[in-house]
Amino acid sequence: MREDRPLNKIFIRTTFALLAVAYILSHFAGHAHAQSSLGIGANEAVIPSTGMFSRLMIWINQHQQAFYRSLSSAMKALRDDGGQVWMLVGLSFAYGVFHAAGPGHGKAVISSYMLANEVALRRGVVLSFISAFLQAATAIVVMLLAYFVLRGTSVSMTNAAHFLEIASYVFVTGFGAWLLWKKAGPVVRRMVGVAPAYSLSAASAAHVHHDDHDEAHHHHHDGHCNHGHHTHGDAHHHHHHHDHHHEEGMVCSSCGHSHAVDPALLSTDRFDWRTAWSAMAAVGLRPCSGALIVLSFALLNGLWMAGILSVLAMALGTAITVSTLAVLAVTAKNWAVLLAGGGRLGNRIHATIEIGAAAFIFLVGVTLLSASLSV
Amino acid sequence: MSFKRTVLKAGAAIAALLACTVPASVHPHVFAEARLDVVLGPDHQTVKALRHLWRFDDLFSSTVLMEFDANADLKLDAAELQEVANTIHASLADFNYFQLVTVDGKDVKMKPPAAIMANFENNQLIILFESEPETPIQLAGDIRLGVYDPTFYTAIDFTEDANMAVEGLPSSCVRTVIRPDPDAALAENQQTLTEAFFNDPAGTDMSKIFATKLELKCHA
Repeated sequence: MREDRPLNKIFIRTTFALLAVAYILSHFAGHAHAQSSLGIGANEAVIPSTGMFSRLMIWINQHQQAFYRSLSSAMKALRDDGGQVWMLVGLSFAYGVFHAAGPGHGKAVISSYMLANEVALRRGVVLSFISAFLQAATAIVVMLLAYFVLRGTSVSMTNAAHFLEIASYVFVTGFGAWLLWKKAGPVVRRMVGVAPAYSLSAASAAHVHHDDHDEAHHHHHDGHCNHGHHTHGDAHHHHHHHDHHHEEGMVCSSCGHSHAVDPALLSTDRFDWRTAWSAMAAVGLRPCSGALIVLSFALLNGLWMAGILSVLAMALGTAITVSTLAVLAVTAKNWAVLLAGGGRLGNRIHATIEIGAAAFIFLVGVTLLSASLSV
Repeated sequence: MSFKRTVLKAGAAIAALLACTVPASVHPHVFAEARLDVVLGPDHQTVKALRHLWRFDDLFSSTVLMEFDANADLKLDAAELQEVANTIHASLADFNYFQLVTVDGKDVKMKPPAAIMANFENNQLIILFESEPETPIQLAGDIRLGVYDPTFYTAIDFTEDANMAVEGLPSSCVRTVIRPDPDAALAENQQTLTEAFFNDPAGTDMSKIFATKLELKCHA
């Protein structure tokens, strides 16, 4: 059974390449002023697009706008006559939920990271929460720096935020490139004939996994099923002790096996926190403009407790939306793989989605970075 | 064959997902209560200049205070305000100073304002400037004057119709303030928006559709 006829390979690649290109063109290309039109503060590096989803976008936009307006009124009420802190916290939370549904690299990176790796859904949710709160912490630190250190210097808060934004996009780009290399590298090398084996990251594989990694980058096979050249850096990769033998020179067609998701395997999987932290840091470095504006008002009016609570509530709302979207992304991927059934076909789709997701993070990083630097 | 169908299904799933996960829409972080005064020529037959006044919200204003308070006294003195004005002046240049001026649907070129004045009153930043059309606009046909931020960063609000004023408007002209309802505007412009989307996915300027406009209809 040889389903990987060249035609099909080309078909899959073209399909996903077109998807990526269309997406980038319609969502990011040719605009994206990261710095704001007023020259003070930072705008999000995306502008409204039209088309099929314009109604949904306008709906989201109207809601986040409404919540942001109420949020500022609540802050002002707090200053003027000691309004309700809980009102402010509630509005901040709602704003966070809607804001995360709008633009932003956060959910793009987290969702794609989860697509590119077998990450247990529960852990994906944890990732979303940590990155959202990291972003809140960045905003608070930038604000404290701006107030206590930068004030009176030639470095403005806009400069500081812009610097962090660029740093964040550099990390996203680098992270995407690294992930892309990890995912696509083995495939490319296989295509050029360096490493003939088929590679997949799937930790969910139904074969027996042994976590006794003694030598970080090698599989041990008794046969000629050569997995030896995989660049396995994270713990989703396992050492497969295959006892089956293959004919000399035979491409290891059964090494992919069935990749139906087995939650039990996922949850006992050793999780690569280093990779996860780089994803979260890349996202969390960029402080959100709304948070900075709310915090500066809070600090100048002695409402710092309310300001911090508000920003934390925003982060909570953001985390809920981001994790929902990430879970949706992973569920869709699992469906796609499931639809394809086991065997090489499922593996191919699996690999394509993973490589596509890694490529996507890279493209998002490059686009946002160039937009941010071109201002 | 089923393989292709599966790939297509997977592709469609991813496409739908991508489209949903990053709906590109920003919302304003800055709110300004605006006033527009249309200055007519001495004979009341031409539009000579547009005078803009924008009063920014308290939250954004505190960010400005934080950023430009060079001597850290929590006040913006004349030199610091000048710096604010210069920054805004330079940035607005890329966005036609948020102005949208058309006569019978055709864009009218505006000269950049010579200067922008910044003030800080009651914890609010106030910006004032005056800009002139390259040639005075004859009071004839359908003149539309809008103020908007094409990047959606700033929401320019004309809270009352009276805040878009023309002094000494001849009786041959009718003055109307148009406040587009987003849903209706979207429905009305669905066709053009769809075309625009396919021609230039990122270049459609929706704020033009949503901006509050002062319309002067004159039969001269």
